[in-house]
Amino acid sequence: MRHHALHTIASLILLISACELPPRNPSDTGPATDKKETFVTSDTSSAAEEYVMVTTAINLPLYVNHDQAAFTAWGEKTGVKTTILGPAEWDVPTQIATIEQVIPSRPAGLLINGTDPGIAQAIRKAVAAGIPTVVYDSEIPNSQRHCFIGSDWYEMGRLQGERMAQLLGGKGKVAVMGILGLENMEAGFRGFLDAIKPYPEMIYLGKYDDKANVETAARIAADLISANPDIAGMAGFDSNSGPGMALAVKEANRVGRIRLTTVDAEPEHLALVQAGVIDYLVGQKRELFTALGAQFLYDMRHGTLQLSNNDARAGVVPIPHTVITGSIEIDKNNVSQFIK
Amino acid sequence: MTKQKPNLNHLLQDRVLSLSLTIALLAVVLALVYPQQFATWDNFSQVMLNLSIDTIVAVGMMVLMIGGMFDLSVGSVVAFSGGMAGYLMYYHQVPVPLAIAIGMGGAILIGLTNGWLITRIGINPMIQTLAMMGIVRGFALMLSGAGLQNFPWEFIVVGQSKLLGLQMPVWYMLFIVVGMSFLVQRTTFFRRYYFIGGNERAARLSGIQVERMKIWAFVISAFLAGIAGILLSSRLGAALSTSGRGLELRVITAVILGGASLSGGQGKIMGAFLGALFMAIINNALIIARVSGYWQEVILGVILVLAVAIDQLLLRRVHRK
Repeated sequence: MRHHALHTIASLILLISACELPPRNPSDTGPATDKKETFVTSDTSSAAEEYVMVTTAINLPLYVNHDQAAFTAWGEKTGVKTTILGPAEWDVPTQIATIEQVIPSRPAGLLINGTDPGIAQAIRKAVAAGIPTVVYDSEIPNSQRHCFIGSDWYEMGRLQGERMAQLLGGKGKVAVMGILGLENMEAGFRGFLDAIKPYPEMIYLGKYDDKANVETAARIAADLISANPDIAGMAGFDSNSGPGMALAVKEANRVGRIRLTTVDAEPEHLALVQAGVIDYLVGQKRELFTALGAQFLYDMRHGTLQLSNNDARAGVVPIPHTVITGSIEIDKNNVSQFIK
Repeated sequence: MTKQKPNLNHLLQDRVLSLSLTIALLAVVLALVYPQQFATWDNFSQVMLNLSIDTIVAVGMMVLMIGGMFDLSVGSVVAFSGGMAGYLMYYHQVPVPLAIAIGMGGAILIGLTNGWLITRIGINPMIQTLAMMGIVRGFALMLSGAGLQNFPWEFIVVGQSKLLGLQMPVWYMLFIVVGMSFLVQRTTFFRRYYFIGGNERAARLSGIQVERMKIWAFVISAFLAGIAGILLSSRLGAALSTSGRGLELRVITAVILGGASLSGGQGKIMGAFLGALFMAIINNALIIARVSGYWQEVILGVILVLAVAIDQLLLRRVHRK
């Protein structure tokens, strides 16, 4: 009996000693030292050197036509291998799982679409593994990423709100739609609301989840028009909001009477601006996100610019910390410049 | 006593055995083709970690499918339980154990509602759980909003601690698989699900309280989905409203791969684990081979069709005998 108790205590001690607790401060990945590099560097470049982009909803035309095309073109120009990974649907946990499974293969650099703050821990793991890591599109707080490059979504919302107020003369009912729950879109909604706040006669009907789906956006817009025949404007925050809202407005024969603003500048958005259905677009400079982001990764790995004798050992990240690429404003006055 | 010679039929019909051999073969091939990437401790621990959440939910789904039922709301329950616990800790500074208990309580209530409406009111299980999937996802969205972070360390410890180099969700998964495997194979309570799934009328005539057992199955499934949700939030250090999206399909695929039948009455808990493990290895191989996400969807879809086709062929063969 006594032996049994001793065995149990010994086993418990062994078990506890084999237990490793997470750090109380999650951002603590350890300092650089003279012997320890905080990221992996290389003097030579080769065609086998691999840069991996991890995103979600990889078949979204916006991503395919801009982010992925620019990244692939950058790889071909630079003479390195580029790989694009991630789930076909909007699925953040699977994006996280993909990042975590890419880390053990130690790519030369990771370009991660900042889809949700929840991916922070996976990014910290990549950084802790010494992989140069750039987050693009939306900032991920507490991620320890080496660089963020993207748009300011609050600003994009603010621009839409200001233009909407201008289009409506500061009065009328308005609604917004996009993917609810996403950090970047919620920031956009806040920007829109802040911009219309100075206009007490503008009535905000609420925000709606179109799930980045044209049909859903059209259905929501049609319902909004039925429920509020005097609705004056709608603003969209994902790539499919604009085409969906435009479809509903056309079907209700309210073109020009319901003012529409939205994000992105895909060919279909531009055609709708040209046709006078959508009044205003806020485009992103997405090609810059991935082409510049990948170049930053390359520069970091190859020490293109050295800020000390050995940046990796000094704990210096020799690329910009944050790059906001700005927005492109498009309306009927300049739309022809964007149609190819 | 004569020993029966193992033949191909026997091998195919024992899904745990055939799947174990398939997984072993797949692992050997991958280790040979990708020795630097696949056959490493880092990769192994990562595969196990990614598999843990799906497996815990798959165990509950296996119990349901043995009894001839299924639940499409499990993915939403994963988002809900983590979101509820996260909301209480983040906005109301509720102590960690209480927040977890309330998150779990919510999950159990969802299971109870599903079970009660299906058995007592007679709503079709697919319609009921599909509706519940939407309702619960809506609540999860309200609770988590744009994602909640910065949880207390005591909550993070639950999913981010390591034991013997493996993150804790892996150990919880193993504990649940072994424990539930024992219960399902050895206890009268769980054995009843085989009778219910095999022949519900006969089970009812033999005195089994089928409705009550069905309610329990939905509660068990939701309870395990609740655990998975808490573990996922703790592991990610965040409650995401998108957590568990599409999980129901992955889990049903894993469970069918693991030997459950769409008509009920078959399957083992170990089969659910092996089904999830097989899918996790395939996923891992696709990532290591740098296969695009488009193909990953196609390949997983093909695997589901193959699993169901094999199930139907075996069923036909059994009926012919």
